[in-house]
Formats: sequence, structure tokens, C-alpha cells
Amino acid sequence: MAADDRRAATVQESRPERSARLAGLIRAARQGDEDALGQIVTELSPLLWQVARVAGLNSGDAEDVLQTVWLRLVAHLDDIHDSAALTGWLVTTAKREAWRVRALGRRQLPTDRELFAELPDEGPGSEEQVIVDEQRQALWVAIGRLPKRCQDLLRIIAFAPRPDYAAVAAALGMRVGSIGPTRGRCLAKLRALLAADAAGDPL
Amino acid sequence: MTPPGAGRLPSADEPLDDDDFGLLSGIRELFEATDPMPPDLPERIRFMVALRDLEIEVARLADEGQLAVAARGPEQSRTITFDSDSLTIMIRIDANKDGTVRIDGWLAPSQRREIEMKTTADSLAATSDEQGRFAFPRVPRGTAQLVVKPAEPGPSGAGRSVVTPALIL
Repeated sequence: MAADDRRAATVQESRPERSARLAGLIRAARQGDEDALGQIVTELSPLLWQVARVAGLNSGDAEDVLQTVWLRLVAHLDDIHDSAALTGWLVTTAKREAWRVRALGRRQLPTDRELFAELPDEGPGSEEQVIVDEQRQALWVAIGRLPKRCQDLLRIIAFAPRPDYAAVAAALGMRVGSIGPTRGRCLAKLRALLAADAAGDPL
Repeated sequence: MTPPGAGRLPSADEPLDDDDFGLLSGIRELFEATDPMPPDLPERIRFMVALRDLEIEVARLADEGQLAVAARGPEQSRTITFDSDSLTIMIRIDANKDGTVRIDGWLAPSQRREIEMKTTADSLAATSDEQGRFAFPRVPRGTAQLVVKPAEPGPSGAGRSVVTPALIL
């Protein structure tokens, strides 16, 4: 599947390679290359979706926010020259746009997100599948026990390109004790929770 | 996403290691499963940002509603309002009998502008009158987008195109 290929490419790509590639796409997009802009859209939309959803928007509003953010990028292409600046600008703009839409209260949203309720049950599987499921379940439970700001940060960072973690954390206003290049408090807490769980300690 | 072994707890000040990256990709998988982005959204956005002119002003969705049309029985019109810094665009969408839709629009402040309706097939063209009214009598259903072309260069220089988000007709 294309999405898997893309993720694999992102993981294998070194920082300078990825940054150079994105800088090239930005340059091409500025010259009016629609396909270059399209590649950037495909690569970074999942990250912006999480930013909008973490802000508490329903799906329809989240879609509107993504559309506005990408159109605004077209109008601002001249001001953005590298990958970290691009990712940071997109996340900042998505966050602000999400707040704006939420403040309008155009479509009321349920404030209690059904997050951390139940993981989708994929039915009985092989023995390896059971182990994987248990690990997913443990991770899910541990994330649910983190403070809300850590949940939100990790959820968004998980969709960010690796070289841009620090730019994303800064765009979210979480510069201090945050992720990239160091682990940061939220991931350290998550690992402590998982270690306690694996050791059989009550969480 | 193997649980890190017991023993020394990882410190927040250390550089990210492979276990951290493993956890983050595990988190990504969890949220891809529980809160996936609509799979066709990037495609809609790619359609919307494919613009010949990059000098644009963004019109945001400001209001959306249903308008009961008595003469048409249970048929309803959709009305949508977009706002940009310089322009408000109001449109009303009615179903045609042949499966296409009719779009009537108004620009405020009222002015004569060339207007493009991008669709997944061909682009359609119209011009608003002095009262800011314009119409596209037959637009194919599907994804569409309005582009209001720049006004004639005035004292403040050449204007920008005003661009709406993608509409699902």
C-alpha cells in the first residue's frame, strides 16, 4: 500500500536527505509545480488531521481546517524555505485555525471525546497476533494514564517527520522538557508506565 | 513497540533511542486505527491547491444552511457563505432534474468579476454583473471549487484571486 511505502521511506530516509527532498518540493511548488505541492499535502495531512482532532473538532470541522490551512500555505509559499519551517508553520496554522473554528461553535461538538474507550476488536488471531494485541492494549492503557498535554503531544509527534519533532513541539507551545533531540518528559513517563506494567506493578 | 525492559528507567534528558521511535510508531498505528483521517481527504486537498495562480486570498467557510423551497416541495437548497479579507461569496445550490446542480451566487461588495468553477472535469466560467450576481446553470456533481479572478488593477495594484475550499456538490 502506498501509505506503508511512504512511511517506510520516511523511516529509512536520513535527516539531511528528507530535509533536502522537502526543500526541493517547496521550491518546485513555489514555481507552480502542482505535483510537488500535492506530494507535500499527502505527506503532511495526517499530521494536521491529528492537530485538528486533538483540538476537539469533529470530522467535518477538522476537514474544513485542513482545507483552509493548505490554501493559506499556497498564499505563504514565498515565506517558507525549509522542512522544519514548513512543518512548524503548518502545525501552528492548523492549531490556530482549529481554535478559531472551535470558538465559532459553528457545529457543536461533544466535549468528551470517546478516546481511550475501547480499541477496535479485531477478533481472535494467531499466537503472535495475541502478543501484538496485548502490547497495543498495554500501550493504549499507558497513554490513557498520561496527563492530557502529554497524550496530545505524543499523539501529534507520532505523525510528524522525525527531523521535525522539535519544530512541532515548539509550534504546539511545548518547548520546555519536550521531544527532540532528547526524549522529553512525556516519553520518559510513558516508558516508566510501560516498565511498571511489564514488571507486574500496579499502574 | 516492545515494552522496554525493566531496570534503569529512561531519563527525559537522554537522546531519543530506538525504543522511543518504536513507541511513537506504535502510537501512530493506534490513532490511525481509532481516528483515521478520511482516506480521500488528501486527494480533495490536492484538487483544491492545484491553482494556476498562486497569488491568492483564502475564503473560509463562514456559514452553511438549508433553505426550504416551498415551490419545490421537499427539495431543499443548500446555501453556503464564504468570507475572505476583501470579499464575501454567497452561493445557493439547487438540484437540476438531469442530475447536475445549479449554482446561483452573489459577491459582496457587489462588483463585476470573472469567476471560475473548477470541477473534476472541465472548468466552467462566468462573470458576475454589477450587482455581484453570477450563475452556473449546470455543474456536474462531485468536487468543485470557486475561484474569483483578480479585479482589474486599481490604484492599489493588481488584485489577488479569491479561492474557496473544495465543495462537495
